[in-house]
Amino acid sequence: MRRRRKGSVVTEILTWVVVVIAILWVLFPFYWTVITSFKKPADVFRLSSIPWLQFTPTLSNWQTEFTQRGPEILRGITNSIIIAVFASLLAVALGTLAGYGLARYRYVKWRNQSMAFWFLSQRFLPPAATVIPFFLLMKSLGLLDTRVALILVNTTFAMPFAVLIMKDMFRELPVELEEAALVDGCSRWEAFLRIALPLAAPALVATVIICFSFAWNEFLFALVLTYKKATPMTIIIAGTEHTQGVQFWYVSTRLLLAILPPTLLALTVQRYIVRGLTMGAVKG
Amino acid sequence: MGWRKSLVLLISVVFVLGFVFGALAQEGASELEIQTANAAFEAADKGNPDPAWKGQKLTIAVYSAGPRGAISGPLYFWRPYFEKLTGATYDIVEIPFGELREKIFTDLMTGTGTYDIIVGPSWFYGDYIMNDWIVPAQEFFNDPRMPKWEPESIALPVRELYMWGDKLVGFNNDHDGQVIYYRRDILSDPKWQEEFKKEKGKDMPTPPWTWEEVYEICDFFNGKDWNGDGEPDYGISMHLKVGGQGFFHFMALSAPYVVSPAPGDNPAKVTRYHNVYWFDPETMEPLVNTPGFVEALNMLIKLSKTGPSAMFGWSLGEAWDAFLRGKAVMCWSWGDVGSLAQLPDRSSIKGRLGVAPIPGSDKYYDLETKQWVNKKNFVANTVGASWHGVISKYCKNKELAAYFLSWQATPQINHWNVVWGWTGVDPGTSYDFLQPSGKATIEEYVATGYDAEDARQFVTAYEEMWTKYPLRQTYLRIPGTPEMWEVYDIHLSEAVTGQVSPEEALNRIAEEWKAIVERYGKDTLKKIYQEAIGYKPE
Amino acid sequence: MRRRLREKGNAFVIPAIFWVLTFTIFPLVYSFRVSLSKVLYGKLAGFAGASNYLRMFGDYRFWGTLRFTLILVLISVCATTAIGLGLAVVFNRKMKGLRVFRSILTMPLFTAPVALGYLGVMMFYEENGPINVLLKYLGMGKVPWLSHPLWATLAICLVDIWQWTPFAFIILLAGLQSISDEIYEAAVIDTSSGWAIFRHITLPLLSPVLGTVIMLRMVDAFKAFDIPFSLTSGGPGTATRTLTFYIYTQGLRNFDLGYASAMAYFLLAITMVIGLLFFRRYRELYE
Repeated sequence: MRRRRKGSVVTEILTWVVVVIAILWVLFPFYWTVITSFKKPADVFRLSSIPWLQFTPTLSNWQTEFTQRGPEILRGITNSIIIAVFASLLAVALGTLAGYGLARYRYVKWRNQSMAFWFLSQRFLPPAATVIPFFLLMKSLGLLDTRVALILVNTTFAMPFAVLIMKDMFRELPVELEEAALVDGCSRWEAFLRIALPLAAPALVATVIICFSFAWNEFLFALVLTYKKATPMTIIIAGTEHTQGVQFWYVSTRLLLAILPPTLLALTVQRYIVRGLTMGAVKG
Repeated sequence: MGWRKSLVLLISVVFVLGFVFGALAQEGASELEIQTANAAFEAADKGNPDPAWKGQKLTIAVYSAGPRGAISGPLYFWRPYFEKLTGATYDIVEIPFGELREKIFTDLMTGTGTYDIIVGPSWFYGDYIMNDWIVPAQEFFNDPRMPKWEPESIALPVRELYMWGDKLVGFNNDHDGQVIYYRRDILSDPKWQEEFKKEKGKDMPTPPWTWEEVYEICDFFNGKDWNGDGEPDYGISMHLKVGGQGFFHFMALSAPYVVSPAPGDNPAKVTRYHNVYWFDPETMEPLVNTPGFVEALNMLIKLSKTGPSAMFGWSLGEAWDAFLRGKAVMCWSWGDVGSLAQLPDRSSIKGRLGVAPIPGSDKYYDLETKQWVNKKNFVANTVGASWHGVISKYCKNKELAAYFLSWQATPQINHWNVVWGWTGVDPGTSYDFLQPSGKATIEEYVATGYDAEDARQFVTAYEEMWTKYPLRQTYLRIPGTPEMWEVYDIHLSEAVTGQVSPEEALNRIAEEWKAIVERYGKDTLKKIYQEAIGYKPE
Repeated sequence: MRRRLREKGNAFVIPAIFWVLTFTIFPLVYSFRVSLSKVLYGKLAGFAGASNYLRMFGDYRFWGTLRFTLILVLISVCATTAIGLGLAVVFNRKMKGLRVFRSILTMPLFTAPVALGYLGVMMFYEENGPINVLLKYLGMGKVPWLSHPLWATLAICLVDIWQWTPFAFIILLAGLQSISDEIYEAAVIDTSSGWAIFRHITLPLLSPVLGTVIMLRMVDAFKAFDIPFSLTSGGPGTATRTLTFYIYTQGLRNFDLGYASAMAYFLLAITMVIGLLFFRRYRELYE
């Protein structure tokens, strides 16, 4: 449901100017990353903003990354994808349920807002303080250096977002539709699944993307809880710093490789979830 | 969705193809490397591998640099040879450099014991010893199964890092220290020498032997266009960013101001006031705010003005780059600069490199008499990590681990690592130094790509510093060393960027070090410190 | 408009509650216990009472990092929310390629902060980095982005804003999209001023989501760590060291977990207080 503005030409132009600036602002660092990945190490510190004009591009960084570090990078990306996908799906599932419950129902024992706040409290404590207890927990569960451990951890941290955002979104939906469905004989669960959820589809997409990005970028817990088998991409990227300094050219290649899967995923997910959920829904 | 879907498909295909291609492609070792490696392999002592070791596997922790990177590279390279020798193999677990301590200490503290061998820095020794985390090399040295290697061939200042008291703890690998690099073509250019004489009133010291001379040269060249590119260039280049290992610069620079020779016939003897650098061995009071240090810090600040102000935010890559592409006329740092200078995609100064042992000072502060002594003072340093392998006490097969490390420590294999610069192993044994004083020939270096004169300067500078300098700086190997160095790093940065005065910065360091010592336990630390520096209470 | 079904339902929240109980309570309790202990090499070595907390209050570095963290939070939250809102308004329309634009705008969220910091080092490179080159063409001098405390602060804020604006953007956009068209059609009858509609219709309807976004962003900004870590390592000196960075180095580098946990709990207290204040303001919208 989008607003259609009957604005003047000036507003149209201004709008497009803003769009262009926003896109440039976002894309410039990626442009920089791309050209850096094609630079010889010595060129990285020179005036080298425009390829071919100010420096000669080279394929050697990419070659090295694919040949020498290929298996390691592939493992990193695979791990990242698995962890982020499962963690975000789990977090969104739990969070949406909880958000719906908080939005639609009143709880006697605890006030709704307290519960909401309580969910959020998970995020208040800085990770450095929770890392060691988590390490001990995973160690006793025998889950060190497994993807499961990171999925559990990332779900824990992403869930509060899902709860709060989905709660807000459900509150904005008029309650009449669901009431009508209940009157018709639907169970609460059906009302949720077939009416509320499809209507909240845009919010669902947003939440999945956010939760995915948290899991994708998580570094600290990945560092402490994994050794070799379950290391995600963030660890691989951090590995570009060694005693001879940061290897910016490899940072670029890895950054690009790391950002590709989630971007492609984001592109496809948006369409897919929205389409999937609006199918068969009753729109009032 | 037509074009979008195809785009997604296309990108994914390119992606996958890249990895497939990568997996199938070759490792990257050249013909000559393999040839010389085979020769080294045949010549090295192979000991007597125990048949019971067949099929066993070790786990080695090392910082992350990949299969052709510094320090981790040789582990990958020599693995097939190791497998052939013993029938056993090892997993290499790479840890991001900045997170070494977290990962390794967590493993040791919790007794998880994932790592059998730790290829780590010398600054962990204090923590290793205090917690009894490692099994010393001495235990295996006379085991007939082990390949024979020669600790005595390591230059004395570096050798001490591998030992604790008289006991051998680590196995020979890397040898770190800082020397000073300069543009020998620019400094010996008659045109500049004449101008220098006009401006400064004396001959240009080539190479500079004291920090005052370094300052004069860098001050002279800073701001002039001496590389002919039409833009003003710099004098000195340093890596002073917090976390950029800038404090090692200061460690090397300040040594001659602080480390004083002992009276008597053994000037290198460690007494309470002489040849000490970090703490008073009787009271564990930090020495970092004594007058020697203040003077040294003032020199560092003075020197930092002869380079670009961006240096305060530079880490190694940027700082070395300024020198390697001919923008800075001098820099003092590790052996990496010498080997990087030979690579065409990193440097444009191959063949023009001058290397000299770390400069000394015109005076030093005597802690006993509390006076300045106006005599030239030269002190060798071993700043850096000197990365080498130690055996974790949780290792499941300690003999196999000792075998691997001893084999890597043998002169032939270790020297091979040294001449091939990509391994990150720097020269430090008599097998690396040039004849007649050492056993290596210049041809060995030239064969791997070094310019002959560059290599000669490079290797000789380290040899001179480590064998001819009368004094050496003690290395801090007490529990909490990394923590203390972090404090050191931060406050030094505050001082050079002018956020606090030098005295205040050094006082802050001293205060925090005192607190850290208290936390770990002063008596425990004192005992370990005395052992680490070889101080015997009188 | 009645927003709630007047029933008591609890089945929906149970899975989430169970999860939180399992994975949150233990770490929180454990951390508190640690903050009251002396810790050496990760092992609890005796009861320290409140000494860790006392040490914290006398630590000038602690206050310095707190100050910088507050500055960062203030600048970042205001900027990301404002810019995010503006972008959401602009992008909330039918336009060609909207989906592609939106996907592009979310890309910063997927950039691992560690890599982003290093990228920043290159881009803010004072000698020849693109930003200084651009400034040179615009006639301004060379900005000491990474070697001067003030500019380093700004650099960190800029990178943080770049990364987190999409967060606000995505959520606020979803919020805007869920406001039904009928409301706007009704409003347009009364007034044709876009700004008035925005102020009196859009903003109030968006308030809950806006409040949530601000609070979530604030809570996270207090824990900012990755970007100062890789861009400046907290330097020059300690000018750009955040509180979480300090907690990290104390707790996980120096393994002084007692002190680190004490500081962490202090941070927890601050963020809780701020969160509660926020909640109070929006209470009427929640009940």
